[in-house]
Amino acid sequence: MNRRSLDRAFAVVGRELNTVVRTRAFLALSGGFALVVAVLAWTAGAIGYVPLVLDLLTPVEVLVPALALAFGYRSVLGDEERGELDVIRTYPVSRATFVVGVYLGRAAALLVAVVAPLLAVALLVPAFGGVGTQVIASHGATDSPLVYLRFVALTSLFALVLMAAALAVSTTAGTTRSGLVVAIALGVALVVGFDASIVAGLAGGIVPEGGLDVLLALSPNSAFRGLVLETVVGGIASGAPAASPAASVVGLLGWLVGALAVAVLTVWSGTRR
Amino acid sequence: MNPKHVLAVVFAFLLVSSASFAVDVGAQRPDPAPFSDTIDMGMTAAGTVQARERGIEIPRAQVFYSQYRYVVGYHGVTSLVDELGREGHARQFGVPLTIYVSDYANAQLQVGDDGFLRQPDDASAYVGWVAAEEAYFVVGSRARTPAGESIVPYSSKSAAEEFADEYGGEIRRWDAVRSMSFGTGAATREAFQQEVTSRHSWADERVAETEDLLDRPVSVVVGEDAPTLSAAVEAAPPNTTVRVPPGTYDANVTIDKPLTLRGAGNATHLRGDGNGTVVTAISSRVAVADLRISGVGGTLSAENVSTERSGQWDYRVQLGYGYGDAGVTLDSANESLVRNVTVDTPANGVVVRWSQHAVVDDVRVNGSDNWQEGFMGVMVMRSQLVVQNSTFVGGRDGVYTHLSDGIVVRNNRMVGEEGMRFGVHEMYTSDALVANNTVSGADMGVVVMTRPEGNLIVGNEVRDSYSGVNVGGRASYVAQNVVVNNHYGIEAPSKTSIYERNVVVGNDVGFRASSLIPTNLVTENDFAANDEYVSSTLGPLRVWTADGRGNYWSGAPGGDTDGDGVLERSFHPSGPVDSRVDEVSGAKTLANSPALSALRALQGVVPGLRPTGVVDEAPLADPVRPAVVAAETGGTNATETNQTGGAQ
Repeated sequence: MNRRSLDRAFAVVGRELNTVVRTRAFLALSGGFALVVAVLAWTAGAIGYVPLVLDLLTPVEVLVPALALAFGYRSVLGDEERGELDVIRTYPVSRATFVVGVYLGRAAALLVAVVAPLLAVALLVPAFGGVGTQVIASHGATDSPLVYLRFVALTSLFALVLMAAALAVSTTAGTTRSGLVVAIALGVALVVGFDASIVAGLAGGIVPEGGLDVLLALSPNSAFRGLVLETVVGGIASGAPAASPAASVVGLLGWLVGALAVAVLTVWSGTRR
Repeated sequence: MNPKHVLAVVFAFLLVSSASFAVDVGAQRPDPAPFSDTIDMGMTAAGTVQARERGIEIPRAQVFYSQYRYVVGYHGVTSLVDELGREGHARQFGVPLTIYVSDYANAQLQVGDDGFLRQPDDASAYVGWVAAEEAYFVVGSRARTPAGESIVPYSSKSAAEEFADEYGGEIRRWDAVRSMSFGTGAATREAFQQEVTSRHSWADERVAETEDLLDRPVSVVVGEDAPTLSAAVEAAPPNTTVRVPPGTYDANVTIDKPLTLRGAGNATHLRGDGNGTVVTAISSRVAVADLRISGVGGTLSAENVSTERSGQWDYRVQLGYGYGDAGVTLDSANESLVRNVTVDTPANGVVVRWSQHAVVDDVRVNGSDNWQEGFMGVMVMRSQLVVQNSTFVGGRDGVYTHLSDGIVVRNNRMVGEEGMRFGVHEMYTSDALVANNTVSGADMGVVVMTRPEGNLIVGNEVRDSYSGVNVGGRASYVAQNVVVNNHYGIEAPSKTSIYERNVVVGNDVGFRASSLIPTNLVTENDFAANDEYVSSTLGPLRVWTADGRGNYWSGAPGGDTDGDGVLERSFHPSGPVDSRVDEVSGAKTLANSPALSALRALQGVVPGLRPTGVVDEAPLADPVRPAVVAAETGGTNATETNQTGGAQ
């Protein structure tokens, strides 16, 4: 990518950011996510960062895919329906440049919406005051803000992967309705479908137990969950490892690259008009 | 909006947060805490007090756990090793991040003839701390602690070898020491049950031994062979019976030989002059039976007593509690018997001090209406005896025990008509059996204070009191008790104790988990119709489940689809929703929502870092003792169904 196409990509990023900021629905969704996270963290009354991660893990796993798909599924689809895509194709911008630009713009917006509330609720932990007695000597155990930062970093990676998937949905779908259907189907598959299939496979004996951590890496949600349990809670809880971190990271990156490739290939076909 | 800035900020955040993976959390070793600031484990209060008074050195340890925020201090490296091996320990505390043990490299330790470690009175000698992985432990030497075998840690190998050369033993590293076992931990459920049986049969033997005191031949009949009670006691040869026919007698008599003083029941009335104790026995094998006593003096704590025991650490307690006025006092009267005696008293009913293997049986003590003005039904001072089948009405405590290890208190009734302090009150008393007593109207039914160990509190029934059963100390067994209509059903400041098969019904708060360190095993108890199932204000989240079985909580939501007797949904009796399922309509519906289930799913993973509370991961589908629960919640008397064990 040369200097000129980089500038073009930034132009696309800027356009996407403006779109996101001007869309009230996105602001409402982000606000809703922030509210849910805040309420959960408040009611959990977490006196440590590790418990807070455990309290937020399941909600994040469900809400971040929903948020990503909502942010992303119409990104290219909308341009196409309004005919703007045809206009854009008259500019000297390649498919890859356009897709990367759209992706970076939307992903940046999503990251802000996800990361900001997560970082904010971390402040509740010191506010809840920890151990509650001065008489007995206390210490931090393995709890530390660092493990919470790990959780936020992993959530960011998870959000980036999901945004790529949402973009792929947006470029492949022909109409808003089909885009919506595919997005919902993908959301359900992410949250329930992939893991349920793995459970079914285990129960049916199709999946050997030895291959479980590799297989889990193929499902973004399981890969994310495994990484969190292993790197955040892993040093604390004993027993078998929660996941293979390497396989999980490879799985997530595979989804990221694969989804972006699908988006580049399907954003428009043939040469520039 | 400049996209480059936004992207730069996002990218920078991702870079910085990724760096958190490069840092090893918890790699830094914390400094040792002052031992007095740690949570105290591993020895009784009497043990540590005595050790301090006698200058005995007990090797200590302190542990920083991965999942527990308080530093835990252990008296004795052996007790640390045993506790680390206890089932459920890692579940609640996580792994030890750092362990420090006493470092005697600069202490110039000596082992005395009694086997105890002592530090010379030398300003240059001091005890430090050393990390366990870096220490050299002398195992199997002559050194002992009051609790048993001692392990002596050193930071330097040469100092350890020097000690081992002089006092025996071999040197081991932490990994080897950690896998050992020293038997200082709590007993298992089976061992406790066996202990209950054996304590009962020990008491049966004591009762049988004193039985023949009532078969002694009659030598003197008061009023026929001697004019007064004192004259009769003086005239009677040892090992005979002084008979006291019906009538009222002026008493205040001292029995200084093995003699049986026997009346004709309530018709025989010994009347004191309102000063001091009415009948005092200062010889072994004295029996006082079948009579009624009144006119007891009103002194609760003796002021003009001094004994040759002033060197003992509890001397002030001895004087403060052991020398008040009583209907009958047994003083150094081993194997004596008080049976079928009724005492009206403003002070004690019976005082027993330094009298081993005595028996107090079928006694009735009518104490003061207002407990602040009275004293104990039976006041036991440093005596291992049996108190059974007796009734205590009013007064301060039904039975008070001080340093009376192995005492048996069973089948008694304590009635606080106008109020009473405690039904059974144990101080510095270990290995006692308190069984099948009934208490009502007291501040506390059965209370164990001052960190003793090995107490068995079994089959008692406490109603209408402020607190039902309150057991402190460690390694104790609280089972089969029924607590109904109290403010607190059960209070548990204890450590490493077992609470099982208790029925907790109709209390304001069913169970008060008041220890900072969650080491009690609480399973197979029945909770029904309490305003609040449990309360805890201290310590982390407690997990009340063992071997896949928890407790029965009436109204707990969830189903048992696989028929294993355990609900599939975990129960959080201190939680905002679950704590109300039994009373607030709609709470049950909310409790079954998927949202709540999803949130609760990971709650039990790091209990040590959670806010305080209780979680039961395998609540029982049915009561453990259905008949008792049904009778108590139905409001009928369940006395018949609550008797457990009894005299075996």
